[in-house]
Amino acid sequence: MTCRLVRRHLGAFIDGELDPASQIEFERHLEACSVCQEHLAFEGSLRQQAREALIGVRAPEHLWGRSLHRFDEIDATRAERNSIEARPMRWRQTWPIAAAAAAVLIIGSVMGLPESTAYQGAGMLQDVVNLHSQALPSDVQAAAPQDVVRYFQGKTPFPVKPAQFAEPGMKFVGARYIKVGAHPAAALYYNHQGRRVTLLVFRSPEIVRNAHRTHVGGRELFYHNVGGNVVTIRQHGGVNYAFFGDLDRPVLFQLAANARVAY
Amino acid sequence: MPRKINKVETQRRLFEAEARPHLDTLYSMALRLTRSPVDAEDLVQDTLVRAYRFYDRFEAGTNFKAWLLRIQMNSFVNRYRRTSRERQVFDGPMATPVGEGVMSRATMRGLTDPVGDAERQLIAQEIRRAFEALSDEARAMVMLADVEELSYREIAEVVGCPIGTVMSRLHRARKQLQVSLQAHAVQLGIIEEDDGDVVDPIPLEAFRARKEAKS
Repeated sequence: MTCRLVRRHLGAFIDGELDPASQIEFERHLEACSVCQEHLAFEGSLRQQAREALIGVRAPEHLWGRSLHRFDEIDATRAERNSIEARPMRWRQTWPIAAAAAAVLIIGSVMGLPESTAYQGAGMLQDVVNLHSQALPSDVQAAAPQDVVRYFQGKTPFPVKPAQFAEPGMKFVGARYIKVGAHPAAALYYNHQGRRVTLLVFRSPEIVRNAHRTHVGGRELFYHNVGGNVVTIRQHGGVNYAFFGDLDRPVLFQLAANARVAY
Repeated sequence: MPRKINKVETQRRLFEAEARPHLDTLYSMALRLTRSPVDAEDLVQDTLVRAYRFYDRFEAGTNFKAWLLRIQMNSFVNRYRRTSRERQVFDGPMATPVGEGVMSRATMRGLTDPVGDAERQLIAQEIRRAFEALSDEARAMVMLADVEELSYREIAEVVGCPIGTVMSRLHRARKQLQVSLQAHAVQLGIIEEDDGDVVDPIPLEAFRARKEAKS
């Protein structure tokens, strides 16, 4: 056993992480080697100082309260899900599920219909996540935007137009009628550089309740953190544009900010 | 369905009782990782929401703090995945071998035997500065091992790598901290620049031979 070896693993020795035989060998060496003893004292002392310098950060008072509120939302979503029977789904075409490389883009129209609790907002966010992971098939294939507008006439209580994107990598794929919470909604599917993107249109102001707020390229955006991903919502002319997925937050923000929705 | 509601309420109470004591740990870790109080709060919220959602997957009897920290570490890495910052984490300073950071005895004493409170505070400040300059991964290793005092096995679970890798990453992180600390301490005049007093590691055999010759 050499001093070099002892010093290389001095950290593990102090941590008590060496195997018993090595631990004994190290102890023997340290008893005999005054230089390594100094290194041992230095490592131990520096570690103590580092601990004292870095420890003691306390969470802000409001953080636990905010967390409790999020738990309430989860409980409410679970209760809601338990009490509502699963809606039958039409499957005309099975999409390949590429969940790891997929994203959901939601467009929501906010035109009233006030709701009573924030729980419904959380439930809708959860619906968005579920709709994303379910990768539901399209009812109308990638067609001219007018066909999509016609398809949704009479289905949704508001006109639906596919949003347009300046990004060349953003391709419109198809659309279907769905529900988010109890709200009639349109799902518009896009493909962003090989990643599936879903666009939902529905009426509810709850989706932006308790949302964070930021500005990108002069646009005001709202966003919710959902399970490590982010739902990004843009409001324009009374309409909410919300982006969700495992795309990087800046990409989602840019898509939301640059989407052409009023044309 | 009163039975179901009771179960939900019980789970909720259990989770709160288990999670609340670790809030400061999660926030402290999140703040050290993100370097931003706002991002740290978001990260802790994400962590707690995920943990609550998947609470039924937690194995009772195992380390709850390590479980929470693993969720938080995953959230942090996922959030920064595919960004240039992450490339810096995994291909940057941590990927570069660091020397053994050989120090003279005087340097070691200077750094660990501060004279008076002022110097003690100055060194604490320098430790924080050196820590902040470390890569994301190195900061995580130092926090988990030296502040949270997790075992290597627990760190391996939190970070998601083999125990041997924990050992080498932790060693590199600590050495980087020492080297950075030493360089600044010299600049600030806390310690003298090493001037040849460095004692190279001596082979044990040579030491024994010398000892035997003396006796």
